[in-house]
Amino acid sequence: MRHFVIPGDKILDRQMRIENAYVEAGTTHSAVLGFYDDERNSIIPLEGAWKPRIGDLVIGIVSSVGRNGGTYSIDLTEFISGLVVAGKFSTLDFKEGDIIEATIQDIEHKNLALLEHPKALKKATMIKIKPVKIARVIGRAETMIKQISEYTGCSMVVGKNGLIWLDGGNVALATDAILKIEREAHLSGLTERIKNMLEKESKR
Amino acid sequence: MGSSLNKPELLKNGKRLDGRDFNELRPLKIEAGILKNAAGSAYLEWGNNKVLAAVYGPKDAMPRHMADPTKAIIKCRYSMAPFSSIEGHGRSGPNRRAIEISKVTKEVFENVVMLEEFPGNEIDVFIEILQSDGGTRAAGITAASVALANAGIKMKDLVYAVSAGRIGEHVVLDVNMIEDNYSDADMPMTISPRNNNVLLLQMDGGFSKQQFKEAAKMVIDAGKKISSIQRAALENVYNDKKEDE
Repeated sequence: MRHFVIPGDKILDRQMRIENAYVEAGTTHSAVLGFYDDERNSIIPLEGAWKPRIGDLVIGIVSSVGRNGGTYSIDLTEFISGLVVAGKFSTLDFKEGDIIEATIQDIEHKNLALLEHPKALKKATMIKIKPVKIARVIGRAETMIKQISEYTGCSMVVGKNGLIWLDGGNVALATDAILKIEREAHLSGLTERIKNMLEKESKR
Repeated sequence: MGSSLNKPELLKNGKRLDGRDFNELRPLKIEAGILKNAAGSAYLEWGNNKVLAAVYGPKDAMPRHMADPTKAIIKCRYSMAPFSSIEGHGRSGPNRRAIEISKVTKEVFENVVMLEEFPGNEIDVFIEILQSDGGTRAAGITAASVALANAGIKMKDLVYAVSAGRIGEHVVLDVNMIEDNYSDADMPMTISPRNNNVLLLQMDGGFSKQQFKEAAKMVIDAGKKISSIQRAALENVYNDKKEDE
Protein backbone atom coordinates (compact mmCIF):
# COMPACT_ATOMS: atom_id res chain seq x y z
CA MET A 1 0.00 0.00 0.00
CA ARG A 2 1.06 3.52 -0.72
CA HIS A 3 0.31 6.27 1.76
CA PHE A 4 0.54 9.99 1.17
CA VAL A 5 2.97 11.46 3.70
CA ILE A 6 4.01 14.98 4.63
CA PRO A 7 7.10 16.04 6.60
CA GLY A 8 6.84 14.86 10.21
CA ASP A 9 4.42 11.98 9.61
CA LYS A 10 5.27 8.91 11.64
CA ILE A 11 5.79 5.97 9.29
CA LEU A 12 7.17 3.30 11.60
CA ASP A 13 7.05 2.65 15.33
CA ARG A 14 10.62 1.42 15.30
CA GLN A 15 13.94 2.73 14.09
CA MET A 16 14.86 2.13 10.51
CA ARG A 17 17.22 3.86 8.15
CA ILE A 18 15.13 4.91 5.17
CA GLU A 19 16.03 7.46 2.55
CA ASN A 20 14.09 10.73 3.00
CA ALA A 21 13.16 9.78 6.55
CA TYR A 22 14.66 10.45 9.95
CA VAL A 23 14.69 8.68 13.29
CA GLU A 24 13.62 10.38 16.47
CA ALA A 25 13.03 8.87 19.89
CA GLY A 26 12.84 5.34 18.55
CA THR A 27 10.35 6.06 15.77
CA THR A 28 10.81 6.82 12.09
CA HIS A 29 9.28 9.90 10.49
CA SER A 30 9.06 11.12 6.92
CA ALA A 31 11.14 14.19 6.05
CA VAL A 32 9.54 14.95 2.71
CA LEU A 33 6.29 15.22 0.84
CA GLY A 34 5.75 11.94 -0.95
CA PHE A 35 4.36 8.44 -0.87
CA TYR A 36 5.38 5.82 1.66
CA ASP A 37 5.37 2.29 0.31
CA ASP A 38 4.88 0.00 3.31
CA GLU A 39 5.83 -3.18 1.45
CA ARG A 40 9.21 -1.96 0.25
CA ASN A 41 9.69 0.39 3.22
CA SER A 42 10.68 3.28 1.03
CA ILE A 43 9.58 6.87 0.56
CA ILE A 44 9.05 8.14 -2.96
CA PRO A 45 9.44 11.92 -2.88
CA LEU A 46 7.11 14.06 -4.98
CA GLU A 47 9.32 17.14 -5.08
CA GLY A 48 12.86 17.97 -4.23
CA ALA A 49 16.35 18.70 -5.37
CA TRP A 50 18.73 16.07 -6.71
CA LYS A 51 21.36 14.72 -4.39
CA PRO A 52 24.36 13.33 -6.27
CA ARG A 53 25.39 9.75 -5.67
CA ILE A 54 28.40 7.78 -6.76
CA GLY A 55 27.64 5.95 -10.00
CA ASP A 56 24.92 8.32 -11.22
CA LEU A 57 24.91 9.02 -14.95
CA VAL A 58 24.63 12.77 -15.44
CA ILE A 59 24.44 15.24 -18.30
CA GLY A 60 26.13 18.59 -17.97
CA ILE A 61 27.34 21.61 -19.84
CA VAL A 62 31.01 22.61 -19.76
CA SER A 63 31.10 25.94 -17.96
CA SER A 64 34.83 26.58 -17.88
CA VAL A 65 38.10 25.04 -18.97
CA GLY A 66 41.12 25.01 -16.68
CA ARG A 67 44.03 27.27 -17.58
CA ASN A 68 46.25 24.48 -18.89
CA GLY A 69 43.41 22.41 -20.29
CA GLY A 70 42.74 19.01 -18.85
CA THR A 71 40.36 20.15 -16.11
CA TYR A 72 36.81 21.11 -16.91
CA SER A 73 34.03 22.47 -14.70
CA ILE A 74 30.62 21.18 -15.61
CA ASP A 75 27.24 22.68 -14.70
CA LEU A 76 25.00 19.88 -13.46
CA THR A 77 22.28 21.84 -11.66
CA GLU A 78 22.01 25.36 -10.30
CA PHE A 79 23.88 24.42 -7.19
CA ILE A 80 25.88 21.30 -8.00
CA SER A 81 28.85 21.39 -10.32
CA GLY A 82 30.99 18.63 -11.69
CA LEU A 83 34.71 18.39 -12.36
CA VAL A 84 36.38 16.38 -15.09
CA VAL A 85 40.11 15.85 -14.69
CA ALA A 86 41.74 14.37 -17.76
CA GLY A 87 44.26 11.59 -17.21
CA LYS A 88 47.85 11.70 -18.43
CA PHE A 89 47.18 10.07 -21.77
CA SER A 90 43.71 11.42 -22.26
CA THR A 91 42.67 12.98 -25.53
CA LEU A 92 39.74 14.94 -24.13
CA ASP A 93 39.19 18.27 -25.77
CA PHE A 94 36.03 20.06 -24.60
CA LYS A 95 35.13 23.67 -25.17
CA GLU A 96 32.92 25.92 -23.11
CA GLY A 97 29.27 25.15 -23.86
CA ASP A 98 29.84 21.53 -24.88
CA ILE A 99 27.32 18.97 -23.67
CA ILE A 100 28.78 15.92 -22.01
CA GLU A 101 27.56 12.77 -20.30
CA ALA A 102 29.59 11.26 -17.48
CA THR A 103 29.36 9.10 -14.38
CA ILE A 104 29.92 10.37 -10.86
CA GLN A 105 33.11 8.95 -9.39
CA ASP A 106 33.22 10.79 -6.10
CA ILE A 107 31.50 13.62 -4.26
CA GLU A 108 33.27 16.42 -2.44
CA HIS A 109 31.48 18.76 -0.01
CA LYS A 110 28.10 17.50 -1.29
CA ASN A 111 28.01 20.06 -4.12
CA LEU A 112 31.05 19.15 -6.20
CA ALA A 113 31.02 15.87 -8.10
CA LEU A 114 34.13 14.32 -9.62
CA LEU A 115 33.19 12.79 -12.95
CA GLU A 116 34.62 9.86 -14.85
CA HIS A 117 34.09 8.38 -18.33
CA PRO A 118 33.13 11.72 -19.92
CA LYS A 119 31.75 11.56 -23.43
CA ALA A 120 30.88 14.49 -25.66
CA LEU A 121 27.30 14.63 -26.94
CA LYS A 122 26.51 16.56 -30.08
CA LYS A 123 24.36 19.66 -29.85
CA ALA A 124 20.76 18.49 -29.93
CA THR A 125 17.53 18.90 -27.97
CA MET A 126 17.88 19.06 -24.20
CA ILE A 127 14.99 19.15 -21.78
CA LYS A 128 15.01 19.68 -18.08
CA ILE A 129 12.50 18.05 -15.75
CA LYS A 130 12.18 17.66 -12.00
CA PRO A 131 15.00 15.36 -10.86
CA VAL A 132 12.66 13.34 -8.61
CA LYS A 133 10.74 12.21 -11.70
CA ILE A 134 13.82 10.90 -13.53
CA ALA A 135 13.41 7.42 -12.04
CA ARG A 136 10.02 7.11 -13.78
CA VAL A 137 11.44 8.34 -17.12
CA ILE A 138 14.01 5.57 -16.91
CA GLY A 139 11.53 2.98 -15.68
CA ARG A 140 12.23 -0.38 -14.12
CA ALA A 141 15.15 -1.94 -16.04
CA GLU A 142 15.01 1.02 -18.46
CA THR A 143 11.67 -0.12 -19.89
CA MET A 144 10.33 3.41 -20.26
CA ILE A 145 13.39 4.71 -22.15
CA LYS A 146 13.26 1.71 -24.47
CA GLN A 147 9.55 2.21 -25.07
CA ILE A 148 9.92 5.89 -25.96
CA SER A 149 12.91 5.23 -28.23
CA GLU A 150 11.03 2.43 -29.95
CA TYR A 151 7.99 4.52 -30.85
CA THR A 152 9.76 7.78 -31.67
CA GLY A 153 13.10 6.63 -33.02
CA CYS A 154 14.91 9.05 -30.71
CA SER A 155 18.21 8.33 -29.12
CA MET A 156 17.97 9.38 -25.50
CA VAL A 157 20.39 9.95 -22.68
CA VAL A 158 18.76 10.51 -19.30
CA GLY A 159 20.85 12.20 -16.64
CA LYS A 160 19.99 11.67 -12.99
CA ASN A 161 20.40 15.43 -12.47
CA GLY A 162 17.21 16.16 -14.43
CA LEU A 163 18.59 16.82 -17.91
CA ILE A 164 17.54 14.67 -20.85
CA TRP A 165 19.30 14.70 -24.21
CA LEU A 166 17.27 13.77 -27.29
CA ASP A 167 18.42 13.37 -30.86
CA GLY A 168 16.94 12.11 -34.12
CA GLY A 169 13.47 10.72 -34.78
CA ASN A 170 10.29 12.34 -33.55
CA VAL A 171 11.73 14.62 -30.86
CA ALA A 172 8.46 16.51 -30.37
CA LEU A 173 6.55 13.34 -29.48
CA ALA A 174 9.31 12.11 -27.20
CA THR A 175 9.28 15.48 -25.41
CA ASP A 176 5.50 15.29 -24.97
CA ALA A 177 5.81 11.81 -23.53
CA ILE A 178 8.53 12.86 -21.08
CA LEU A 179 6.53 15.89 -19.93
CA LYS A 180 3.50 13.65 -19.45
CA ILE A 181 5.61 11.33 -17.31
CA GLU A 182 6.77 14.31 -15.25
CA ARG A 183 3.17 15.40 -14.66
CA GLU A 184 1.79 11.96 -13.85
CA ALA A 185 4.76 10.19 -12.28
CA HIS A 186 2.91 9.63 -9.00
CA LEU A 187 -0.01 7.76 -10.57
CA SER A 188 -0.03 4.03 -11.18
CA GLY A 189 -0.30 2.38 -14.57
CA LEU A 190 2.03 4.95 -16.10
CA THR A 191 3.85 2.67 -18.54
CA GLU A 192 0.53 1.57 -20.02
CA ARG A 193 -0.76 5.14 -20.43
CA ILE A 194 2.45 6.32 -22.05
CA LYS A 195 2.31 3.36 -24.39
CA ASN A 196 -1.26 4.22 -25.43
CA MET A 197 -0.32 7.84 -25.97
CA LEU A 198 2.73 6.98 -28.06
CA GLU A 199 0.76 4.48 -30.12
CA LYS A 200 -2.01 6.97 -30.81
CA GLU A 201 0.24 9.91 -31.60
CA SER A 202 2.81 8.05 -33.70
CA LYS A 203 0.13 6.87 -36.12
CA ARG A 204 -0.89 10.41 -37.01
CA MET B 1 -3.52 51.76 17.77
CA GLY B 2 -5.34 50.62 20.82
CA SER B 3 -5.73 52.66 23.93
CA SER B 4 -7.81 52.10 27.01
CA LEU B 5 -9.65 55.38 26.44
CA ASN B 6 -11.46 54.60 23.21
CA LYS B 7 -11.70 50.85 23.73
CA PRO B 8 -14.62 49.38 21.84
CA GLU B 9 -16.82 46.60 23.19
CA LEU B 10 -15.12 43.39 22.02
CA LEU B 11 -17.73 40.93 23.28
CA LYS B 12 -21.43 40.96 22.62
CA ASN B 13 -23.85 38.39 24.10
CA GLY B 14 -20.98 36.07 24.91
CA LYS B 15 -19.72 36.08 21.31
CA ARG B 16 -16.91 38.00 19.64
CA LEU B 17 -17.50 40.90 17.25
CA ASP B 18 -17.43 38.69 14.16
CA GLY B 19 -19.78 36.18 15.79
CA ARG B 20 -17.13 33.60 16.65
CA ASP B 21 -16.90 31.57 19.82
CA PHE B 22 -13.87 32.04 22.05
CA ASN B 23 -12.11 28.97 20.66
CA GLU B 24 -13.17 29.29 17.05
CA LEU B 25 -10.75 29.85 14.17
CA ARG B 26 -11.49 32.14 11.26
CA PRO B 27 -12.13 30.26 8.00
CA LEU B 28 -8.82 29.00 6.64
CA LYS B 29 -8.07 28.11 3.04
CA ILE B 30 -4.66 27.09 1.65
CA GLU B 31 -3.61 26.35 -1.89
CA ALA B 32 -0.14 24.96 -2.64
CA GLY B 33 2.04 25.10 -5.72
CA ILE B 34 0.55 28.14 -7.41
CA LEU B 35 3.72 29.98 -8.51
CA LYS B 36 5.47 28.31 -11.41
CA ASN B 37 8.86 29.99 -11.09
CA ALA B 38 9.27 29.20 -7.40
CA ALA B 39 10.49 25.83 -6.15
CA GLY B 40 7.51 25.81 -3.83
CA SER B 41 4.67 28.17 -3.06
CA ALA B 42 1.44 28.55 -1.16
CA TYR B 43 -1.45 30.99 -1.07
CA LEU B 44 -3.38 31.30 2.14
CA GLU B 45 -6.62 33.02 3.10
CA TRP B 46 -7.30 33.16 6.81
CA GLY B 47 -10.32 35.28 7.55
CA ASN B 48 -9.47 38.54 5.81
CA ASN B 49 -5.74 37.79 5.72
CA LYS B 50 -4.37 37.00 2.30
CA VAL B 51 -0.82 35.74 2.19
CA LEU B 52 1.46 34.52 -0.56
CA ALA B 53 4.54 32.47 0.37
CA ALA B 54 7.27 31.38 -2.02
CA VAL B 55 10.39 29.28 -1.53
CA TYR B 56 13.45 29.36 -3.76
CA GLY B 57 16.50 27.14 -3.53
CA PRO B 58 18.50 25.41 -2.32
CA LYS B 59 21.07 27.41 -4.27
CA ASP B 60 24.57 28.80 -3.70
CA ALA B 61 24.57 31.07 -0.67
CA MET B 62 25.09 34.70 -1.58
CA PRO B 63 27.02 36.71 -0.51
CA ARG B 64 29.73 34.04 -0.22
CA HIS B 65 30.92 35.09 3.23
CA MET B 66 27.46 34.24 4.63
CA ALA B 67 27.74 30.63 3.43
CA ASP B 68 28.22 27.97 6.07
CA PRO B 69 30.23 24.98 4.80
CA THR B 70 28.50 22.65 7.25
CA LYS B 71 24.85 23.54 6.61
CA ALA B 72 22.44 25.58 4.57
CA ILE B 73 21.33 29.04 5.65
CA ILE B 74 17.77 30.29 5.52
CA LYS B 75 16.89 33.77 4.39
CA CYS B 76 13.45 35.00 5.16
CA ARG B 77 11.70 38.12 4.00
CA TYR B 78 8.33 39.06 5.43
CA SER B 79 6.79 42.07 3.82
CA MET B 80 3.45 43.76 3.80
CA ALA B 81 2.17 45.09 0.53
CA PRO B 82 1.46 48.85 0.58
CA PHE B 83 -2.19 48.07 -0.10
CA SER B 84 -2.39 45.37 2.55
CA SER B 85 -3.87 47.26 5.44
CA ILE B 86 -6.10 50.10 6.46
CA GLU B 87 -3.16 51.54 8.34
CA GLY B 88 0.12 52.73 6.92
CA HIS B 89 1.99 49.45 6.74
CA GLY B 90 4.57 48.63 4.13
CA ARG B 91 4.64 51.97 2.37
CA SER B 92 8.31 52.66 2.91
CA GLY B 93 10.15 49.37 2.64
CA PRO B 94 10.94 47.03 5.50
CA ASN B 95 10.38 48.66 8.87
CA ARG B 96 11.40 47.49 12.33
CA ARG B 97 8.33 45.30 12.57
CA ALA B 98 8.92 43.54 9.23
CA ILE B 99 12.59 42.94 10.06
CA GLU B 100 11.66 41.44 13.42
CA ILE B 101 9.04 39.13 11.92
CA SER B 102 11.49 38.04 9.20
CA LYS B 103 13.99 37.17 11.91
CA VAL B 104 11.62 35.16 14.10
CA THR B 105 10.23 33.32 11.05
CA LYS B 106 13.75 32.42 9.97
CA GLU B 107 14.47 31.04 13.42
CA VAL B 108 11.29 28.93 13.34
CA PHE B 109 12.35 27.26 10.10
CA GLU B 110 15.97 26.82 11.19
CA ASN B 111 14.58 24.43 13.78
CA VAL B 112 12.66 22.19 11.39
CA VAL B 113 14.47 22.29 8.05
CA MET B 114 17.26 19.70 7.74
CA LEU B 115 19.94 22.27 7.01
CA GLU B 116 22.85 19.84 7.03
CA GLU B 117 21.54 18.30 3.79
CA PHE B 118 22.62 21.32 1.77
CA PRO B 119 25.96 22.68 3.02
CA GLY B 120 27.04 25.98 1.55
CA ASN B 121 23.58 26.70 0.17
CA GLU B 122 20.76 29.01 1.01
CA ILE B 123 17.00 28.57 1.05
CA ASP B 124 14.96 31.71 0.44
CA VAL B 125 11.55 32.10 2.01
CA PHE B 126 9.41 35.02 0.91
CA ILE B 127 6.21 35.94 2.70
CA GLU B 128 4.09 38.65 1.14
CA ILE B 129 1.03 39.91 3.00
CA LEU B 130 -1.48 41.02 0.39
CA GLN B 131 -4.23 41.89 2.82
CA SER B 132 -3.89 42.02 6.56
CA ASP B 133 -6.38 41.61 9.35
CA GLY B 134 -4.38 40.67 12.43
CA GLY B 135 -2.30 37.56 13.02
CA THR B 136 -0.32 37.91 9.82
CA ARG B 137 2.89 36.51 11.27
CA ALA B 138 1.02 33.33 12.18
CA ALA B 139 -0.59 33.24 8.74
CA GLY B 140 2.81 33.83 7.11
CA ILE B 141 4.49 30.99 8.99
CA THR B 142 1.61 28.59 8.25
CA ALA B 143 1.79 29.45 4.54
CA ALA B 144 5.60 29.32 4.36
CA SER B 145 5.56 25.90 5.98
CA VAL B 146 3.32 24.57 3.19
CA ALA B 147 5.51 26.28 0.57
CA LEU B 148 8.64 24.61 1.98
CA ALA B 149 7.01 21.17 1.86
CA ASN B 150 5.80 21.93 -1.67
CA ALA B 151 9.42 22.69 -2.65
CA GLY B 152 10.42 19.21 -1.46
CA ILE B 153 12.83 20.58 1.12
CA LYS B 154 13.60 18.05 3.82
CA MET B 155 11.97 19.05 7.07
CA LYS B 156 11.38 17.40 10.40
CA ASP B 157 7.85 18.69 10.61
CA LEU B 158 5.17 20.83 9.02
CA VAL B 159 4.75 23.63 11.53
CA TYR B 160 1.69 25.78 12.06
CA ALA B 161 1.18 29.05 13.86
CA VAL B 162 -1.84 30.68 15.43
CA SER B 163 -2.34 33.40 17.98
CA ALA B 164 -4.25 33.40 21.22
CA GLY B 165 -5.44 36.48 23.07
CA ARG B 166 -7.28 37.67 26.10
CA ILE B 167 -10.37 39.84 26.24
CA GLY B 168 -11.08 40.68 29.86
CA GLU B 169 -11.34 37.35 31.66
CA HIS B 170 -11.80 35.33 28.49
CA VAL B 171 -9.03 33.59 26.58
CA VAL B 172 -9.73 33.73 22.83
CA LEU B 173 -8.20 32.06 19.82
CA ASP B 174 -7.00 33.56 16.53
CA VAL B 175 -7.40 37.28 17.23
CA ASN B 176 -8.24 39.57 14.33
CA MET B 177 -7.09 43.14 13.76
CA ILE B 178 -9.53 44.90 16.06
CA GLU B 179 -9.09 42.36 18.85
CA ASP B 180 -5.33 42.54 18.37
CA ASN B 181 -5.36 46.32 18.78
CA TYR B 182 -7.72 46.58 21.73
CA SER B 183 -7.52 43.26 23.59
CA ASP B 184 -5.66 42.80 26.85
CA ALA B 185 -3.18 40.23 25.54
CA ASP B 186 -2.06 38.76 22.24
CA MET B 187 0.22 35.75 21.92
CA PRO B 188 1.25 34.22 18.58
CA MET B 189 2.59 30.68 18.91
CA THR B 190 4.27 28.35 16.45
CA ILE B 191 4.00 24.65 17.21
CA SER B 192 5.73 21.63 15.74
CA PRO B 193 2.79 19.21 15.78
CA ARG B 194 4.70 15.91 16.00
CA ASN B 195 5.73 16.59 19.58
CA ASN B 196 4.02 19.93 20.32
CA ASN B 197 7.34 21.74 20.68
CA VAL B 198 6.97 25.50 20.80
CA LEU B 199 9.12 27.19 18.15
CA LEU B 200 7.84 30.74 18.54
CA LEU B 201 6.13 32.45 21.38
CA GLN B 202 5.70 36.20 21.60
CA MET B 203 3.38 38.07 23.87
CA ASP B 204 1.85 41.51 24.15
CA GLY B 205 -0.02 42.18 27.37
CA GLY B 206 -0.28 39.48 29.98
CA PHE B 207 -1.90 36.23 31.04
CA SER B 208 -2.24 34.67 34.44
CA LYS B 209 -0.68 31.22 34.76
CA GLN B 210 -4.10 29.59 34.48
CA GLN B 211 -5.04 31.67 31.42
CA PHE B 212 -1.72 30.94 29.77
CA LYS B 213 -2.31 27.19 30.14
CA GLU B 214 -5.78 27.58 28.71
CA ALA B 215 -4.43 29.59 25.75
CA ALA B 216 -1.73 27.01 25.00
CA LYS B 217 -4.31 24.23 25.09
CA MET B 218 -6.60 26.17 22.76
CA VAL B 219 -3.73 26.68 20.30
CA ILE B 220 -2.80 23.00 20.29
CA ASP B 221 -6.43 21.91 19.86
CA ALA B 222 -6.92 24.31 16.94
CA GLY B 223 -3.61 23.13 15.49
CA LYS B 224 -5.11 19.76 14.59
CA LYS B 225 -7.53 21.53 12.27
CA ILE B 226 -4.83 23.77 10.80
CA SER B 227 -2.52 20.79 10.22
CA SER B 228 -5.24 18.88 8.41
CA ILE B 229 -5.92 21.87 6.13
CA GLN B 230 -2.19 22.13 5.38
CA ARG B 231 -2.05 18.44 4.55
CA ALA B 232 -5.11 18.67 2.30
CA ALA B 233 -3.57 21.63 0.45
CA LEU B 234 -0.43 19.63 -0.31
CA GLU B 235 -2.39 16.56 -1.34
CA ASN B 236 -4.68 18.57 -3.62
CA VAL B 237 -1.79 19.59 -5.87
CA TYR B 238 -1.55 15.97 -6.99
CA ASN B 239 -5.25 15.15 -6.98
CA ASP B 240 -6.04 17.90 -9.49
CA LYS B 241 -3.74 16.35 -12.02
CA LYS B 242 -5.45 13.02 -11.67
CA GLU B 243 -8.76 14.49 -12.81
CA ASP B 244 -7.62 16.02 -16.09
CA GLU B 245 -6.28 12.73 -17.36
